[in-house]
Amino acid sequence: MTADAKKWGEVALGLVCGIGGFLEVGSIATATQAGAEFGLQLAWVVLLGTAALAMLMEMSGRLAIVSKRTFIDLLRERFGIRFFMAPLVVVFVVSVLALASEIGGVSSALAMATGVGVRWWALPVALVAWLLLWRGTFTVVEQGTAIFGIVSLAFAVGAWKLHPQWNAVGHALVPSAPSHDVARYWYIAVSIMGASVSPYLFIFYSSGAIEDRWTMDYINVNRTTAVLGNLFGGGLSVAVLVCAAMVLAPSHEAADSFDTFARILSTPLGRAGLWCFIATLCITCFGATLEIALSVAYMLAQGFGWSWSENLPPKKDARFSMAYSVVIVIAAIAILFGVDPLKLTTVTMVATAASLPLTIVPLLVLMNDGDVMSKYVNGWVGNAALIVVSVIAVLLFGAAVPLQLLAG
Amino acid sequence: MNGFDLVHDIQDAQLLDRKRERIGRIDGLVLELEEGCPPRVATILVGGLVRGERIGGWAVALARLLRRAAGMKSDGVSRIPFGAVREISGAIQVDVDEETLDSEAVERWLSTHVIRRLPGGDRDAK
Repeated sequence: MTADAKKWGEVALGLVCGIGGFLEVGSIATATQAGAEFGLQLAWVVLLGTAALAMLMEMSGRLAIVSKRTFIDLLRERFGIRFFMAPLVVVFVVSVLALASEIGGVSSALAMATGVGVRWWALPVALVAWLLLWRGTFTVVEQGTAIFGIVSLAFAVGAWKLHPQWNAVGHALVPSAPSHDVARYWYIAVSIMGASVSPYLFIFYSSGAIEDRWTMDYINVNRTTAVLGNLFGGGLSVAVLVCAAMVLAPSHEAADSFDTFARILSTPLGRAGLWCFIATLCITCFGATLEIALSVAYMLAQGFGWSWSENLPPKKDARFSMAYSVVIVIAAIAILFGVDPLKLTTVTMVATAASLPLTIVPLLVLMNDGDVMSKYVNGWVGNAALIVVSVIAVLLFGAAVPLQLLAG
Repeated sequence: MNGFDLVHDIQDAQLLDRKRERIGRIDGLVLELEEGCPPRVATILVGGLVRGERIGGWAVALARLLRRAAGMKSDGVSRIPFGAVREISGAIQVDVDEETLDSEAVERWLSTHVIRRLPGGDRDAK
């Protein structure tokens, strides 16, 4: 294969990962709740979150390509261990919560498919995920689930068949204030932000660029996949919101269980829709389970300088392998003990949004460090965008949580 | 002359051993003062209680507690002479063997007592 063909292959793969790997329990749950409670009105937050994610992924990829080092590696070295402990602890906690949510998502899908209770699936799911990490390589983790995740395109078909007013969808992409339930509106808005942009994503992405040995030739591939992949992924998230707005909003139903969620696909697509929902939930949450567990291991190993690579046999990176093994078990135990996956997901997404400045601000500093990035430092557009995203995340969180608490 | 800034370029940098295996990060540096000589960087410190000291008192207390509970006698700190440095470029390579380092004791213990005993844990490649 020529070098060019290989690069375009990477772009195609990036698109598949963007489509098949974008949705997971957080984006499905937040977009469905948004659509059910506020119709199309919150679509703009999905757009904002997706744009933020595309920029952050482009930057963490560029950082790794230019410096040949991961984000966490540079975070520890340039900021020193004292500062590093803050994002380490916060991202660790948020990631374990997210991991439990994803395992809960897979378990809920399996429970819907079989009738066997959610909690009983937690340990089998954890075991299969662990086996894949234990025996598989980075390519398996990155591409395997993304390819099966293509089933999530069913949401696009569902949205199409529900015949929404597309100009109304277009209008909803412009920010607007709520006409009712102000507290709930902003609370869901902040959870959508957290579901779109998770710190584990850029830890995973910059580690992936090193695992896959991306060279300087990949600067453009990186930009193209970050933009196009997220465009498709974000489009699917909007499709989920549209389905929920069309199916659930008119009857003012509470979207408080995955069974209700499933109706947003079974209404337009019938029995096939139900199965597509279950498959999407199961596969995409499973993919996210692998990515989050690996990201925690990457963060600890790179932060403390341990040997790490998903391509090494476990005995060559013992602490790295132990790290993903242990977090998977911790997260699975939470579900086994009956934590409600859906409630956990919403809380986790809000906590994730609140944690964003702790990782985005150091990333901003690194992206402007000429020693690290040479002539590939950020332009003012990228910088301004990062600052805006951090400020919005803090403002949304600062406004939403007190409002929610006041509203009880 | 190309100089390196101790705090900016050396402190917290990734360390590699002579086989280019990752062996922790530079958690501390020891300066040596001798009568009549300018001060010089003598030793690189890695891991254990030294890392805890840089994080804060609570981390030292926690590290002590864990080490005592695990029955470890040493402080877990590797002391590598600065003269063993072979290369400084992003990561820093030192002419030592990972097997000889106290700070890698946990890695070795986990590898032999846990990882290799799990099914498939003794394979040489994935």
